[in-house]
Amino acid sequence: MSIAIRPEIDNTIENPGRRAPLVLGDLDYGGVTDNVASLWEATKPPRAWYITLAISSIFLAIFGVCIFHLLMKGIGIWGNNNPVYWAFDIVNFVFWVGIGHAGTLISAILFLFRQNWRTSINRAAEAMTIFAVICAATFPGIHIGRVWVFYWLFPIPTEHLAMWPNFRSPLLWDVFAVGTYGTVSVLFWYMGMVPDLATFRDRAKTKLGRFVYGLLSLGWTGSVRGWHRYEAAYTILAALATPLVLSVHTIVSFDFAVSQIPGWHTTIFPPYFVAGAIFSGFAMVVMLLVPCRELFGLKNLITLRHLENMNKIIMATGLMVGCAYGIEFFIAWYSGVSNEQFAFYNRAFGHYWWAYWIMVSCNVMIPQVFWFKWCRVTPWFMFIICIFVNIGMWFERFVIIVTSLARDFVPSSWAYFYPTYIDLLMLAGSFGLFFTLFTLFCRYLPVIAMAEIKTVVPRHVPGHDHEHTEAGHAAHH
Amino acid sequence: MAHTHRQPEAPQGPRARLVGLLAQFDQPEPLIEAADKAREAGYLKMDAYTPFPLPAIDDAIGIRRTVLPFIVLAIGLGACGFGLFMQYYANKADWSPLFPGYAFKISGKPLFSLPANIPVTFEVIVLSSAFASFFGMWLLNRLPRLANPLHRVPRFRRATNDRFFLLLEAGDSKFDSSRSRQQLEEWGATAIEEVHEDLTDHEFPRIIKFAGIILGCLLLVPPVLIYRNSGGTNRAPRLHVVPDMDYQHKYQAQQLGPVFNGKADHTGLFGDGRSMRPPLPGTFAIGHMAEDLEQQRGGGTPPDAIVSSGAGGHGQSAGQFHLQDAAPAAGAAQDPAAPPEPEWVTTFPPHIEISRKTIERGKARFEIYCSACHGYAGNGDGLVNQRAVALSATGQAAWTAAKSLHDPTVTVQPVGRIFDTITNGRNTMGPYRAQIPVDDRWAIVLYVKALQETGITPPVTAVPATDAAATPAVPPAQ
Repeated sequence: MSIAIRPEIDNTIENPGRRAPLVLGDLDYGGVTDNVASLWEATKPPRAWYITLAISSIFLAIFGVCIFHLLMKGIGIWGNNNPVYWAFDIVNFVFWVGIGHAGTLISAILFLFRQNWRTSINRAAEAMTIFAVICAATFPGIHIGRVWVFYWLFPIPTEHLAMWPNFRSPLLWDVFAVGTYGTVSVLFWYMGMVPDLATFRDRAKTKLGRFVYGLLSLGWTGSVRGWHRYEAAYTILAALATPLVLSVHTIVSFDFAVSQIPGWHTTIFPPYFVAGAIFSGFAMVVMLLVPCRELFGLKNLITLRHLENMNKIIMATGLMVGCAYGIEFFIAWYSGVSNEQFAFYNRAFGHYWWAYWIMVSCNVMIPQVFWFKWCRVTPWFMFIICIFVNIGMWFERFVIIVTSLARDFVPSSWAYFYPTYIDLLMLAGSFGLFFTLFTLFCRYLPVIAMAEIKTVVPRHVPGHDHEHTEAGHAAHH
Repeated sequence: MAHTHRQPEAPQGPRARLVGLLAQFDQPEPLIEAADKAREAGYLKMDAYTPFPLPAIDDAIGIRRTVLPFIVLAIGLGACGFGLFMQYYANKADWSPLFPGYAFKISGKPLFSLPANIPVTFEVIVLSSAFASFFGMWLLNRLPRLANPLHRVPRFRRATNDRFFLLLEAGDSKFDSSRSRQQLEEWGATAIEEVHEDLTDHEFPRIIKFAGIILGCLLLVPPVLIYRNSGGTNRAPRLHVVPDMDYQHKYQAQQLGPVFNGKADHTGLFGDGRSMRPPLPGTFAIGHMAEDLEQQRGGGTPPDAIVSSGAGGHGQSAGQFHLQDAAPAAGAAQDPAAPPEPEWVTTFPPHIEISRKTIERGKARFEIYCSACHGYAGNGDGLVNQRAVALSATGQAAWTAAKSLHDPTVTVQPVGRIFDTITNGRNTMGPYRAQIPVDDRWAIVLYVKALQETGITPPVTAVPATDAAATPAVPPAQ
């Protein structure tokens, strides 16, 4: 392979005559593999990896202790009260499910739209989705009280009771939506990973590595017959996951929209929730990938252009969310229903005004900095902005759930919600679970879809006079 | 490249079989060209191996469109029917004898209404179709296939990294080891190797064989145990695999602490070991105000003397009330088997003020409710009584004459007894608890006592008190 020395390209420059390269540093196929596998092949991962793992496992341990405490004592250890029956548990659930949406969006919707830049980030985003869904499923799982009969959530014939779930309840739809979403995400993630696991199998130096990755890669050889069916299956999964990802947060929003509480009972919820989910999910992807590419030397694969594209999506979805906030007030006024009008007045100027304005400033105002290119292409800056976005999106769920419940129809039942320290520790602990899983993923699994990214590697083809092409060109005509 | 060039462990001898010739190419384009040439040369059985999908080679290799989409479609349609049926069955079909459904009746809504069942149906379709495309891909690709002769070729490890391979299979009619090798060289292969299949690959590894046998033996243990115990008798309770709601980990009202799986936890919820608080003295359950002896019956045990009886072996109870006059008084008066006359309270409740005002209130109420029979002076000469007595003398009515309140049997009655008579009635006198509020009844009692103090002597009446002699121990009221 001839090595053409080219200057490092800033691939964020828009040039209509030239397709911006998605892989920098003159990496060829082997170079991509070496780069992606370097963290896995390193005998000692960087110190930052150990530090991250240590901190996040401490929080994971706290989470475990809190859950044990909860199982022993019951949900009275939370700050939930009457009428705020849903508080941090459901806020965290909706927050984490929302985070999970970016992964499937990147892997499925951008795949169907042939957005090739997704190839560098889809694996990590899918992993993030799965870990976020695990965090999300934990909260409703433990808030049901008698956790040991969780199987009543599913339509399983019981030994002594003619007992079935109520299929007309949005809470049951949630079980199916989140369950399906988690399962399909795992299938999608795993299937996309099989060729890369085969790469790891073929590069493994230890017997254990060969055995484990050999088992996981199912004996994949890269036969073109296999690839043909693999691509068909992958496209079908993407086509299935696209409506699925939209349905999941739609159904989560039904938990609220189908009820009658003022502030919940609005038809705007499904699109509003989906936009917010993508918004927060992309922010989380950027938050994870910025340190990841720095620490693990993935800058040539996760380029500034990738980050810039994600920041554009963050800004677009942030504007959609801001638009929804405005429309909610308009509808409340236009409906002429005094309860509805009070609910929204109370959101902005009532007891929880601080939560509302944290939400608006983090979700609507702060992301507007992405109008400026410097903000979109400066990693440390976007990292900070994305932290704000996630804070804002957590508060959005808090505002929707807690302020609406705290001021329901009957003034005599109004109350103020105070979180207990267990509530706060469990929120922090769920981040511990998430980051522990993600840190382990970075070390032991292919962080970037190597096989896919090889189809977009800029190539110097012998016989094609110094023209940069992509393997995808050869592949997809 | 991290790649070791070990000599291939080429299997030799009768146990080895030639699979084909594996040609390596360094770039995708030469591979595609070589595959095209192989096709032109008449090869039909060949395969190519690439680190990423290369659809441009499909025609040369002779790949037909996969049937996977149709498999997924079939499974998806089936899942649609299954999802709808599952919901219909679980929420409507309560007629099935085995695992019957449960008809949820909610706000008069129909038991099965399609719009509410769309979300779950959709999710079931997506879930099943995703499994179908995932495992359909496995099935069509014959995965997992962990033993593959290609994995014995060290060079082939780069097929998942950066090299491209073409395999001409030995089973092809055009295949000839030396000629094919020559052709591959002409087509630009950078390396060519023979791939041999070790027939021992098809045998199960010995360790898996042993593990399988041991596992199989272990799996036989439960059925054998079940068979052994099936005919016998056992005093132990039946094994409860799925407890569901049968044992609940909660505090039972009348027991010490929670009971779980039949074992009592004696810690209890409260400091005294009880799992509930006994009611405060004088507490009566809603709807049981009639049990308040002082207020309602004018007698009985004072409320603060409510006793707790030892219930069960735990010596705990919620405080069972000792009602001394629970049976209807009207029947109890004549019934010799009735419980003995309760101890009537002899004093007025503390909140009844003994004053002229109360007496006047009692007088007004007495004249409204009582005077019609008992007369304004309490002599038992009210107009209703006179008329009824006249009618009963001719057999036209059954009537027990109204008692004079100045009768010695009445004047000795404690105030509680008079209150009870007003409240619950006696003989033909009906109960007045519905008409007269409690405090007004006590006011009437006070007025009656005041009347009796006036010293009016009872007039001699022609009508004998029919039941006066029947039960002297229990003086018949009025």
